[in-house]
Amino acid sequence: MSVLPFLVAAILGTVIATVLRDRRRLGTLAGMGAVIVALAAAGLIGPDTPITIGGGALAGSDHLRLVLALTLGGGLLVLVVARLATWQPSAPGTLLGGAAGIGLALGLSGTPPSLLAAAAATIVASALALGSPAAPSRVRALARELRGATTSLVVGLVAAGIAPAAAGGVPAEAGAAGLVLAGMALVLAHRFGAIPLHARVSRLADAAPSGALPILAAWLPATWGLVILGWAPAALGPAAADLGLERGLVVALALATLALGAVAALIQDEVEHVVAYTIVTDAGVALLALAALDPAARDAARAWVLVFATTRTAMIGWTIAFRAVFGTGRLRDTAGWLRRAPALGVALAGILVAVVGWPGLLGWDARLAILHAGTAGPAFLLAFAGSLGTGAAICRLLVVGAGRPSAVVVGAPGELPRFPAGTAVEATAAAPGGAPRAGARAASRAFAGRLGTLTAAAGRRVGPSLALNRVPLRALAVILLAGLALLAAGGAFGIDAAARAAGPLLPSPSPIVGG
Amino acid sequence: MTPLLFAAGALVAIGAAVATGARDARIASLGVAGMLAAVPFVADPLPASLPLAFGVIAGILAGFLVFVAARRAPDGAGPPLGLPATLGAAAAGFAVGIGATAVALPRLGPDAALAAGMAALAVAVAPIAVTHDVMRLGSGLLVLVGSATLMLAALAGTPEPLTAIAAGIAMVALAAAVAVVAGGAMAATGGTVIADDVPGHRAAATRAGGELP
Repeated sequence: MSVLPFLVAAILGTVIATVLRDRRRLGTLAGMGAVIVALAAAGLIGPDTPITIGGGALAGSDHLRLVLALTLGGGLLVLVVARLATWQPSAPGTLLGGAAGIGLALGLSGTPPSLLAAAAATIVASALALGSPAAPSRVRALARELRGATTSLVVGLVAAGIAPAAAGGVPAEAGAAGLVLAGMALVLAHRFGAIPLHARVSRLADAAPSGALPILAAWLPATWGLVILGWAPAALGPAAADLGLERGLVVALALATLALGAVAALIQDEVEHVVAYTIVTDAGVALLALAALDPAARDAARAWVLVFATTRTAMIGWTIAFRAVFGTGRLRDTAGWLRRAPALGVALAGILVAVVGWPGLLGWDARLAILHAGTAGPAFLLAFAGSLGTGAAICRLLVVGAGRPSAVVVGAPGELPRFPAGTAVEATAAAPGGAPRAGARAASRAFAGRLGTLTAAAGRRVGPSLALNRVPLRALAVILLAGLALLAAGGAFGIDAAARAAGPLLPSPSPIVGG
Repeated sequence: MTPLLFAAGALVAIGAAVATGARDARIASLGVAGMLAAVPFVADPLPASLPLAFGVIAGILAGFLVFVAARRAPDGAGPPLGLPATLGAAAAGFAVGIGATAVALPRLGPDAALAAGMAALAVAVAPIAVTHDVMRLGSGLLVLVGSATLMLAALAGTPEPLTAIAAGIAMVALAAAVAVVAGGAMAATGGTVIADDVPGHRAAATRAGGELP
């Protein structure tokens, strides 16, 4: 029942934000306000009585609450960063529409409805993000997204039809199960952008508004992953012993993705492409979780996916702020960027810690559990090295930032806050009471009057103050994003328990066994 | 297979062929509507009246959305195959589907659903894989979704009402997105045909152009 208020808030917010997107000030207020309302409604979601719909059910869970809260919380911060850089009319509607779809996909019982909802969410969010303003590159990207989402849906539906999750533990026929596993691996690979299907992610990063990228490139693929990984152990787990060849192929694809994705992330010159290829790299981890066909790996993946999407959201926010400061995202032109943007450097270092982690941290442990479940021996070592590729790519960004400052960097604005000229003078001149009077009471009156005048002057100067301080405000928002990523990686908000909690309705009708 | 199921399956196959093979995009949209509205009837037992009605209305609405976009669209690239060839492909797919029932996996649904699903799949592949015309692509994608729901019905039996409702919503969302992409293509290029990416022209310039300062 607790999912309904969220769905109503998110869908209404999508409509309002989309209708008002051509009005810059009103659209900003309405979009941000709608995201805040939806975030509050998402915070109220919890495990409760399911709502029966058409023989199925819609129910909340702790995991769903966390997914939506991190989607909207991180998305809101990215919207703030983006709004302080440029005007992206479609981003708030995209975030809300995608979040509503995620709520449906992870709240509905049964794999086919969840897949249909995930596909609908992808289609709606892509259309909102790329439909306007019209440009050939956006039309191409939208057509590509529609083609990919629909094809993934079709393969997923057929696979779920052949091997339903509610088969009652009866192993599927080996040949069919192998085809089904290959099909679902293809879907997962395409949604995350695993190699050789990686072009989608970097092209999306080129065409989509950057404020909409977290939902399009991280959270919606994560939702597909959660649905598929919820289905796989129940549907194919009983036949896992007969699927050696197929699982080996999926593991090989995962290892290739981890290795080549890390190399690709390390050689990119545009910061958006670096982030895109870190997403590609982590597609390998998702594929390993699928290949394991193990409830323990699934539970680890349910925790890891949250860390993955939150850290990528933070990285996208960082790229927006970076491009806004330096006017370019090219690393060759921005050597020494740390000198002009140390706060962004602190944020990136925080993201690096969240991405890599250390033993005992949820992000590290969950990733390692997935790698152990999917691989062994030399393959595990390769997978482990590849899984550190995202960290290596971030280290490269920091190393570039520590170099000799380029001309672009030298000419960029600094991060120190600035105040509109004349505020203090105006306050002094307008202080009531004329000449200063002696005594404590008179002094306090004068102080109160001056404070009031300063506040009024500040109120009049909010616009100019914001305009002057966009750089430090963006840096502050990115630091908050990095903090959110660190919290997620550290297992805050009860992520571990939520990922392991039994959820008979989410995302498949079979009980989720704690790992 | 009862004659009624066979007829419903054949209707779906013909609708799919018209949707992907008609030269005029408006006629193709009528094919989409006809095909999607007929899909819920290819099930044994038939769904309950409410999900059945929902599926029919969703199919008609999806076809209407494509029709609205097609009405404004200039003549595009035309179908990859002509209508006669597409009808032939649909018939071949239907025959393959019927033939596959003799040797296929254990199934819970009717043979007609598998046959109609295969027919729709056969005609949807070309516009999705080959064409640069977004109207053709959209029709193909809608036919493909219809094909998937039919195959799900063939493999797992009559879909639960929740699945049918979700499928209807997904189809309408896809049709609306097709209308958006067609409108965007017409606004950007004056037509519905979009050329491939030019290698080397990516990234920052595109981004800056798409975002208002």
